[in-house]
Amino acid sequence: MNKKNTILKGIMYAVLILLVIISFIPFYMMIVNATRSNSDILQQGFTLLPGTALIQNYEILIQYMNLWRGFANSLFVAVAVTLLSSYFSALTAFGFAVYKFKGKNFLFILMLVLMMVPGQLGLIGFYDLVRLMGLLDSYIPLIIPPIAAPFIVFFLRQYLMTVMHTSLLEAARIDGAGEIRIFHRIALPIMMPGIATMAIFTFIGSWNNYILPLVILFSPEKYTLPVMMGALRGSQVAENLGSMYLGIAISVVPIMVAFLFLSRYIISSISAGAVKG
Amino acid sequence: MKKLDNYGYMFIIPFFIVFVTFTIYPILLTFYYSFTSYSGMGDPEFTGLANYTRLLTDSYFYSALYNTLYIWGINFFFQLGIALLLAILFSDIRLKMRGLNIFRALFYLPNLITIASVALLFSILLGWHHGTINHLLLDLGIISSPIDWLNDPTTARWSVGLIGAWMWFGHTFIILMAGISGISKDYFEAALIDGANRWQTLVKVTLPLLKPIMLYVLITSLIGGLQIFDLPMLITDGTGAPQGSLNTIVLYLYNQAFRYDNYGYAAAIAYGLFVITVIFSIITFKSMYRNNVKEG
Amino acid sequence: MKKVLSLSLVSLLGFGVLAGCNGEGSDGGGSDKDTLTIWSFTDELEEPIEVFKERHGVEVELTIIPIEDYPTRLRPVLQSGQGAPDVFTGELAFIKDWVEQDYWEDLSQEPYNADELEGDYIDYVFDMGKDSEGSVKALSWQTTPGGIFYRRSIAEKVLGTDDPEEIGERFSTMDGLFEVGEELKDAGYRLFPDEGAVRWFSQGQNPQPWVNENNELVVTEERLSHFDYAKELRDKDLTAFAPEWSPAWFASMDGKINYNAGWDELEEDAEGEKEVEVFSYALPTWGLHSVLKTNVEETAGDWAVTNGPNPYFWGGTWLGIYSGSDKKELAWDFVKMMTHDEEFLKDWALETGDVLSYLPVTEQIKDEFQDEFLGGQNNYKFFLEEAQKIDANTVTRYDQQIDTLFGNSVGEYVEGVRTKEEAIEEFYNLVRNAYPDIKVPKQ
Repeated sequence: MNKKNTILKGIMYAVLILLVIISFIPFYMMIVNATRSNSDILQQGFTLLPGTALIQNYEILIQYMNLWRGFANSLFVAVAVTLLSSYFSALTAFGFAVYKFKGKNFLFILMLVLMMVPGQLGLIGFYDLVRLMGLLDSYIPLIIPPIAAPFIVFFLRQYLMTVMHTSLLEAARIDGAGEIRIFHRIALPIMMPGIATMAIFTFIGSWNNYILPLVILFSPEKYTLPVMMGALRGSQVAENLGSMYLGIAISVVPIMVAFLFLSRYIISSISAGAVKG
Repeated sequence: MKKLDNYGYMFIIPFFIVFVTFTIYPILLTFYYSFTSYSGMGDPEFTGLANYTRLLTDSYFYSALYNTLYIWGINFFFQLGIALLLAILFSDIRLKMRGLNIFRALFYLPNLITIASVALLFSILLGWHHGTINHLLLDLGIISSPIDWLNDPTTARWSVGLIGAWMWFGHTFIILMAGISGISKDYFEAALIDGANRWQTLVKVTLPLLKPIMLYVLITSLIGGLQIFDLPMLITDGTGAPQGSLNTIVLYLYNQAFRYDNYGYAAAIAYGLFVITVIFSIITFKSMYRNNVKEG
Repeated sequence: MKKVLSLSLVSLLGFGVLAGCNGEGSDGGGSDKDTLTIWSFTDELEEPIEVFKERHGVEVELTIIPIEDYPTRLRPVLQSGQGAPDVFTGELAFIKDWVEQDYWEDLSQEPYNADELEGDYIDYVFDMGKDSEGSVKALSWQTTPGGIFYRRSIAEKVLGTDDPEEIGERFSTMDGLFEVGEELKDAGYRLFPDEGAVRWFSQGQNPQPWVNENNELVVTEERLSHFDYAKELRDKDLTAFAPEWSPAWFASMDGKINYNAGWDELEEDAEGEKEVEVFSYALPTWGLHSVLKTNVEETAGDWAVTNGPNPYFWGGTWLGIYSGSDKKELAWDFVKMMTHDEEFLKDWALETGDVLSYLPVTEQIKDEFQDEFLGGQNNYKFFLEEAQKIDANTVTRYDQQIDTLFGNSVGEYVEGVRTKEEAIEEFYNLVRNAYPDIKVPKQ
């Protein structure tokens, strides 16, 4: 039985490694092709060995598209969205969890119902509203609306209800602390693990968001990375496959490196989000 | 306490100002536009139910729905299938597989990459005469002539579905493992002591206990899948080609609004998608409820 | 965990602030006193901008947006005026629509008085820039008749001559074109890079607008013949599977490309041709300087241009001043330089080979013109003659989208996934779906 298990285990590891190879071969092709010239890719086909055209490819790419700019733009938007939505969601969750006020249940249910609505439902109206407000081609329509993130509020409220005791608040009030101070000094730190979980999702979601910036932003220097990737295809860079691959690689590799350091937190957040959500 | 409770409003008011302005109002505005012929310029002209009657008889809308479900179906089957096999493998207490953390991280990675980059990458890797994937398959002798992956409806849908599965199976795997670690080890040990074999353990213990979490995966994946846009948009340059086989609902909506300036009709498509989402969610919830009753 | 997270959040925030600063830094640039902002869909203005900067001592910011997105991206900006450019270009495909809007400054009025320039341009070029009331909204420096660019060395080898006149004679009918294609194929070459190349010679035999004044879709027999010609090209194996604008298309201009990576398996096919060279490309005037010259190294000097079975024209860039600009004077200076500055335009034409529509310059240079790249051929004279045959009344605002839909339908027929009738039917459906107001013929 034991020997059989060992053999089985060996086979299973082989299968797992094969799966890893399949998962990573597109990335490997990308990196190798990023270093090859256009004619090399077209004539020689597939190879495992890198070429020598990395610098030429980079020069062609950067001549038409400043991907680093897209990186900085995406980072700026994603960080702003994450900070604002985390803070305001915590604020709202605290309001719902601690106080009893008129209409509270109605508002909470309204929020839950609209949580189920798919994001594209209001797209046309949203675009028109932003246009009428004169906010097209700015980051405001990307950064401000995520302040109202019903799912995060819901998650944090549940979180607060399980971890925070009302006695803590009572004690603080007797010490003479105001409500806002209580939120910042007591509730916010308690919610931090929950906020961190949600912050990771928010960040990834904002980082990957494509349709909204595609519709809202016009000036190429404001493009976020996904929109820039889309624009890459219609640009002169598309004439050169090597530069195309390099452009994609530049958008991918830093994320891989960041993941190397953060994978444990990201994965435990997904686990937590799934089980509690 | 009464006075203190009024602070509640203060805490939730920023949320609701933004919520009403940027979520509720646009949804209502879209609803209004769906009854008009609005072209983005000038005033919307009220046309009653015209957009909706057009929607109900629009073969492109139905084919977009079909394409969306087709792509999602392939995606979900492989995403859940692979994740489930992996979860079963790693939860087998006889094998005691190691390296869960490493494999989990490796399999998850594609999910973190911007979909736009993934779409662009595959749109050139899957090129016909000059795509690297064809070159590789030819070198390996798997195919004898290059396949025009993205220019044939079947291979194009399968490609997009499988790219989706590739991106998401790691994510699903993590969620299933979270579900399994929520199951007490006692169950598995009891099964072992009772002399249950692998198959019996799987069917009698693992799968039933994983059911709720699998339904969670199903619903979130379905709601997300109905909105698939980035991949087909970037792979087909927005055309939904070949033969409209990658024209998904949201891509159709986007094109009607932002390519052809039919904002009114696009608004009706948005509400059509909403109704479909609600119907599918109800069906899924219902079947979950019925199953629970049966087993309970 | 908390520490790491808050640390990473803080460092991210740091990045974010930096990014934010960057953002503001250059956004503000647009409103500087002496920075002119220009939007276009090609990079052809890059060099003129350098000249302009030197002459006027100002900064110019050029934004290039791929043509598929250009109208969609530009329109909201022009409507709202936010971040709008001072000068923007329009392409032939949408200029009809744009001159009717108020986006472009009326150049017929003071101080521009563009009406006085009327006689200086090739007629259709000037007319395209006018709105329906006759006010000039945009001007252009170029004219864009098309031809067929081919490789002299291959012509010499296979057809026994590289003389544009003689090749043009052989290309003067569709049958002649296909005959040449067969001869090239037997010698291991390919007539065209892809099937799309013949589209100009099918519709061109009887040019009609896509949509007529009664808002009806006009589909002539000649348009539909594109289906047959494209299919014939594919069936007779006269193309190299290098679709227009793809990397393979560009690469094939400069030498052999990997033709059919699968055929080395089929030994009995014996031809063993893994690589193939393309003979010719259907391109207009601008194809010379913005496609061929920028992509070709090895084959420079080995090209020539001649006529196809019929005249056609493709593209063209007009430019005008944004009506809401606060730098109209500077903007007009740029438009002036680009469209009727003899000194600049002469240099430009001699350097790039771009065919001008500005007669004072073309008259001076057309007889003497020679292009090294074309083996010393006078492409100017050739194209100016072709330009006389342009009928710009066939341009409609739907062209870009309908051309795309039509091209896709032809592609489906060529691939064999739809019959011709099905493909045409599908084309009608797609047009009806995109533009419910257009009356589509019933089948």
